[in-house]
Order: sequence, then structure tokens, then C-alpha cells
Amino acid sequence: MGAQQTPNSDPNQKGLSFLVGSDSVHVMVLKPHDLAQRNSIIDTVLKLSSLRNSCQTVYLAAPRLLGATIDASIFRAHGIGLLFFDERRIDEAVAPQPLQATRPQTAQPAQDPGLVSELATLKSMYFEMERNLTQLRDDLKNLHGAPRNGGGFSPQLSQPPQAVPPEPVFAPNINQDEALHSYFNNQADPPPPRGGSPGVLPSYFTNNPWLEVLSKRGRSENGRLAG
Amino acid sequence: MSGDNYRSRYTFAMDFGTSDFKFGPITLGENPRIVNNRGYFPDKSSVMYKAFEPTSDVIVGEDVPLYLQSAEDLSSRLVYPMRNGMIDKSDDQAWRVVSTLSSYSLDAFKPEPNDGFQGYYVVASLSSVSPRYMYERLLGLFQQNNHGKIKAVTVIPQPFAVAIGHGVTTCVVIESGHGNSQVCPISKYPIRAAQVALNRGGGDANAITSEILKDTGYGDLATEEAVVRKVKENIGLVPGNLDSAIADAKKFPRKARAKYKVPGTRVEIDLEKDSWSRFLIGEYVFNPNHEIFESYFSRGMPRPKDVKMGDTIFRGMLDFGEAIIASVERCPVELQPMLYREVLLSGGNFSWAVPPKLEDIAVDAPTKVRLLLRDRGIKNVSVKMTSSPQFSVWHGCIIYGFAVPENYEWDWQRLEGWMRVSN
Repeated sequence: MGAQQTPNSDPNQKGLSFLVGSDSVHVMVLKPHDLAQRNSIIDTVLKLSSLRNSCQTVYLAAPRLLGATIDASIFRAHGIGLLFFDERRIDEAVAPQPLQATRPQTAQPAQDPGLVSELATLKSMYFEMERNLTQLRDDLKNLHGAPRNGGGFSPQLSQPPQAVPPEPVFAPNINQDEALHSYFNNQADPPPPRGGSPGVLPSYFTNNPWLEVLSKRGRSENGRLAG
Repeated sequence: MSGDNYRSRYTFAMDFGTSDFKFGPITLGENPRIVNNRGYFPDKSSVMYKAFEPTSDVIVGEDVPLYLQSAEDLSSRLVYPMRNGMIDKSDDQAWRVVSTLSSYSLDAFKPEPNDGFQGYYVVASLSSVSPRYMYERLLGLFQQNNHGKIKAVTVIPQPFAVAIGHGVTTCVVIESGHGNSQVCPISKYPIRAAQVALNRGGGDANAITSEILKDTGYGDLATEEAVVRKVKENIGLVPGNLDSAIADAKKFPRKARAKYKVPGTRVEIDLEKDSWSRFLIGEYVFNPNHEIFESYFSRGMPRPKDVKMGDTIFRGMLDFGEAIIASVERCPVELQPMLYREVLLSGGNFSWAVPPKLEDIAVDAPTKVRLLLRDRGIKNVSVKMTSSPQFSVWHGCIIYGFAVPENYEWDWQRLEGWMRVSN
């Protein structure tokens, strides 16, 4: 799922190339000693612009020290991504715009608004049906005089608890190219915040009698109140 | 977007544990995100602070290690707000950490713009012994820090969330953390009047482990908390019966030998002929009343005391069996058999392994609690570990946030319901 580093098509070309899915990404890295050389920054930016015919996405990675002097809006206007790094971390200051001019034009199927709304209706019907089914199952259980607590809850963890992937960190003894590679790998993975599927409930909802108990809160207040 | 559909996307849970803060929206599925439940107040004159001047003067989350300075500095600047499950009313530093962690968690899951987001339904969970002012303060923080991120908020006790996450509507939950333990009966509602709190937790098991290390010639390691905790986790065992376990271990010392090598170091701990003492570690957690512990108390190890925090008395020397009975017997008689039928253990302090060769003398936590109850004449008991000890509180909060009707308004008598947050 991660980005794959690829060799540069032109051996004289500086920087790092990656393949993210079907898109090629190129990163030009400004090293601290480049800052001392006259015109090196403008030279690097011009070289990046020249890559429009061969890459979908281009980045300039610059030492954080340059943050105060670079006008990010210029990069935004030209669709060039801007990364700042220091010894601790890499931050994306400007997200790149894919270079549409060079991308092969594919016919986009026109979205039928009727179809979209039908899909939404079907989705909500499915969701309602699932709720009804849970309720029916509970009712059936009560009818059969099943034990009060059911005991039917069997959580099925799809995977063991995993540690949150740490942010990319530049340690002083880590090769900067390796760190950039790892950064792009992490970027290409599906982001954890929205990794779940909206509308699909987690496994611990399955046969959970609390769904019914809690959904009746406020309707009949004859339950045992907090003491 | 219908109500259920909205909350199947925008229910958000926060579990303020003693060591870890677990948080995230329902869409994360099974596992929340975890950061340490702590905040660091950096020295504003430090180079790191000046170089990377953070937006907040309290650092929380994954960035904390980057700002840590000397060990002496940590005691005053690194704040674990929920170490004892409770925060003092006037402890502004701790409340600032809680406030920053709450904002941090919501900022970590900002929905995409224009996707119908009108704010999260936030369910936070606190220790069951939290006094009313903690609810007031926490709900107040959510009102202040909202900025359009929250639609409604509620706070529920952790044992209640455990019962919900485990799918049992009538049960007794024992939640045992680092500093204390709480016994809470549940029957569709938490029965607050029957709660029993113990002033004993994982930290006390560390204390006796430290004493054992001193007695066996490893006094230099006994002061390093992280090492002591590792030793406890790797050599500590819970005996079915302490006297017979000690006798057996003394008779067959090789069978019960306790050895542990600290990973990545040359340090190896071998209790050799004193390996029987590994059983004291587990016993002390469940029952500190055995006469053998008196020698440790007389040599200076603090005896767990009864302390009053807020309106709650935390009992020091009550064993877990007595604590469950004391709690259940405060409930109506006809409910009591049903409560004993489902005793749920939750929290890291109940994770005790049983090595294959020692199955005849060592037991796991549910078995030990069952034995303690049996000794007091309670036999028809089912004791279980929660299915997901680390995340069951977070799961319970998510289910609560999804299922409780939107119009069930917050009530200060019940300490339940939704508190609307104005944007």
C-alpha cells in the first residue's frame, strides 16, 4: 500500500522519485549547504517545474530554517508541494496539486443524481433493517425465556490492538533520504482517522442488549436511578 | 441525514484512564487511538521551547517526549491528572491537561468540510468514584473548548462503560487501575450507592515487588519504577492458596524458580531459593491480610490505608472477595444472586499469567476472585475478564453515545443524558 521508491529516469536528475499507486511523485531536497550557494533555490524550483511532463506530483523539501523566507502562496499557485524538515520531523506546508496537464485524460462517467440519491435511500433502509433485525432477535430471545443477560455477545476482534503509528521523525543519525521514503510510505497508507466505514457498526454492537436498554432512556423512567 | 445515521459517523468517545487516554470516533471501529494521559509544562526558557515554540503551554500527545528534560524536572512539570482516578478541585494544572487532551483528541479527527458535520456526540468516561465537581468541571471544559466541534456531550462512569462494552446489563464490575480499584454493581444503571472503592491497585503490587528485590539482593534496581514494574509483570504470580503455594515452591525450588532478564541490558534477576516470594506479589493485590505481609509493614512498607477522597472512603485492606460482597449486599436482596452471576474484571491490574508448569498452584485473576468469594460462602458465581480489557471502556462509551436518544437530556440527579453544547 505504501509508496515505492523508483530510480530516476534521468541519472543526472537530483532528488527522489516514488510511485504512489499509479502516480509518480518527485521530491527535490534542499540540503542546508545549498542555502549558502547563490541561486540554488531558484535553480531547484525551476528544475521541479521542468518535471511537469514526467511526474504527476512534485515536492520541494527544504530545511525548516527557510520557512520564514519562502512565500508558500507561490508554491500553491503553481501546484508544487512544499515540505519543511528539521532534525525532528517533516511537515507538509503546502499540499501539491496533481499536474492535470500531463495526466492522460480519461472519460469520467457522469454522476447521475437520481442514482446517488437512490443509493443513499438504500443505505438508510439497510441501516434501519439491521436495527429492526436486532430488535426482533431480542424480542425472540425474550419470548423463548432466554436468560436475562443473553450471553450472546461474542466480540470478534478483527485484529489485535495496534499501537498508533508514530509521526515521522528525523533523528540526527538517520539518513534524510530514508526518512523521506518512510514519510511517503506513511502518507500513502489509508489515514487512521477516517479508516473505518461510516454507517457500518463495529463488531461489539452485535447482539449487545444495551442498544435496546439505552435506546429507551427517557421514555419510561421507572428504572433504578443512580443512588 | 437521520439521527442514527448521523451518530453512526459522529459519535466520539474519550476514556480518561489512570495511565492512558483512549479516544476517537465510532468510525475507528474496534481500536481507539491511545496517548499517555499526561501533559508536560515546558520550561519557557529552554532552547527547545524557544526553537519550536508550541501553540499551547501544555504539551500533550506524541510530542511530549521531545520536550522532556532532566529527571528532576519531570516531577513538577510532567502531570498525570488521573493518577488516582480523581482530580482535586483546585488542581488547575491537572485540569489544564484534561482540557488540552480533550481539544487535542477532537482536533485529531476533524471531519472533511461540507460533509454534513454539525458536531460530535461526545461521551467521556471518568472513574466511578469521581465526585460531582469533576462532572461539572469536565462538562464546563467541553462547553468552553467547543468551537463547533461538539453537538452534545455526556459523562459516564468507567465501570458502567465496561458493562456496556461487554454486553451485560446486570453485573458487578471491578475496575482496577494503578492507584485504586472500584467495585460497582450495574443493573441497567450504575448503582452508585452500592459502590465500594479500594485504596489499592497496580502501584501496590509494585511496592511489594520492590521490597522483594531489596530482600533478594537487588536493592539497586528496587528504586527504578519501570524495572520494578517489568519484574512484577514477568515473575509475579497469583497463588490459589498462598500457604500451599509457598510450601510447594520451597519443596520444589527449581519448578517455581523466578528468573528475569531485563531486555537490552546485562541485568538478570534470579530469586533462586527465594522464588517462593513471587507468589506474594499477586496475593498482595487480591488480599493483603495474610500474616506474612506484616513483616514487610513492620520494616517500613506502607500499609494500604483507608483514605477519604471527596465523599468516598477508599478502603485499604479489604480483600477483593469482601469488597464484592460489601458492594452486592448494599443492593436489593432479590437482585443479589443476579449480580453474583456476572462479575466482570477490568483493567491492567488483573492481567496475571499462569505458567504451564505451575498450573496446580498459580491461578488467573477470575479464579482467584472466585476462590475468595467461595471462602466466604458465595458459590454460584461467574467471574470473567472483560473481552477487551484495554478498550472495553471506549467501546461502552461509543455504544452509549450511539444508542441513547438525543432528547434524553442531562440530569444532575441521575448524572446521565445529553448536555447540549451551544455553538
